[in-house]
Amino acid sequence: MRQRLGDHERRERFEDEVLPHLDRLYSAAMRYTRDPTDAQDLVQETVAKAYRSFHQYRPGTNLKAWLYRILHTTYISMYRKAQRRPQESLQDEIDDFSFYDAVARPDTGSAEHAVLEALTSEQIKQAMADLPESFRMAVYLADVEGFAYKEIAEIMDTPVGTVMSRLHRGRKALQKALATYAASRGLIRDAEGSVEDPRDEQVER
Amino acid sequence: MSGTADEAGGIGEPSHGMVTAGCGERCQRALEQLEAYLDGELPEAAVGDVREHLADCYPCTDRATFEEQLRAIVRRDCLDEAPPQLLDRIRAHLRDDVSTA
Repeated sequence: MRQRLGDHERRERFEDEVLPHLDRLYSAAMRYTRDPTDAQDLVQETVAKAYRSFHQYRPGTNLKAWLYRILHTTYISMYRKAQRRPQESLQDEIDDFSFYDAVARPDTGSAEHAVLEALTSEQIKQAMADLPESFRMAVYLADVEGFAYKEIAEIMDTPVGTVMSRLHRGRKALQKALATYAASRGLIRDAEGSVEDPRDEQVER
Repeated sequence: MSGTADEAGGIGEPSHGMVTAGCGERCQRALEQLEAYLDGELPEAAVGDVREHLADCYPCTDRATFEEQLRAIVRRDCLDEAPPQLLDRIRAHLRDDVSTA
């Protein structure tokens, strides 16, 4: 009797604490899998695993980070098991890119904020989806979920330095993709944001 | 407006590398730390310098604001609502799990 009551309480406590995170977990799963059906499967499996190991969760510690850690490992075991993937990379030049510089050139005349607001939700999502996986995850965990570098390192099981590098390069690549959309709609002249671009000199002088 | 850009940076050489036109050494130092600053990851001792610089320097503030706005838009657009049937499936699954435990 006592044991059954314990199970019931355990489930209620789990539902009370974990289910409010469901939308966020689903959003993360959508960014991870890029497919609504896969995302639902991933969330369901994540929640099932979290429930089975809920006794390992220490109350008062970061529940959200704990759940994301499970989501991350579940994703890898469900979708990457047999795959040996080549090392992901982004072009070296991406480090020099700046969306701001592409938007704020003296010749564009657009208000910077207006350019950002003109980008559609689909374009933002697509630009995110097009990032290589490990960069996409780092950017999502930092910019959407607001996790600290150290928490992202634990969730992704990588050193903090790797997180910082993925985050920096991932953000730059995201900006480059958005600048390309902005240029294609005529919001900015082109998607070149590097200040090493010689045209900057010509405009100034 | 043209020709006054260097004043914004205060001291130092004209821009090169990652730094925009109009920025001096202080801007360069602040911008190198901007990403960590916006992430709330800058060591406490360094936060004051960046904040102070941003308060003084319009071009750097403008850049920081743009970066913040971009993050806010990404955050807004990358959130989805879980489909209602997912919550139903999960609740049903948890109940099964308990009854068979």
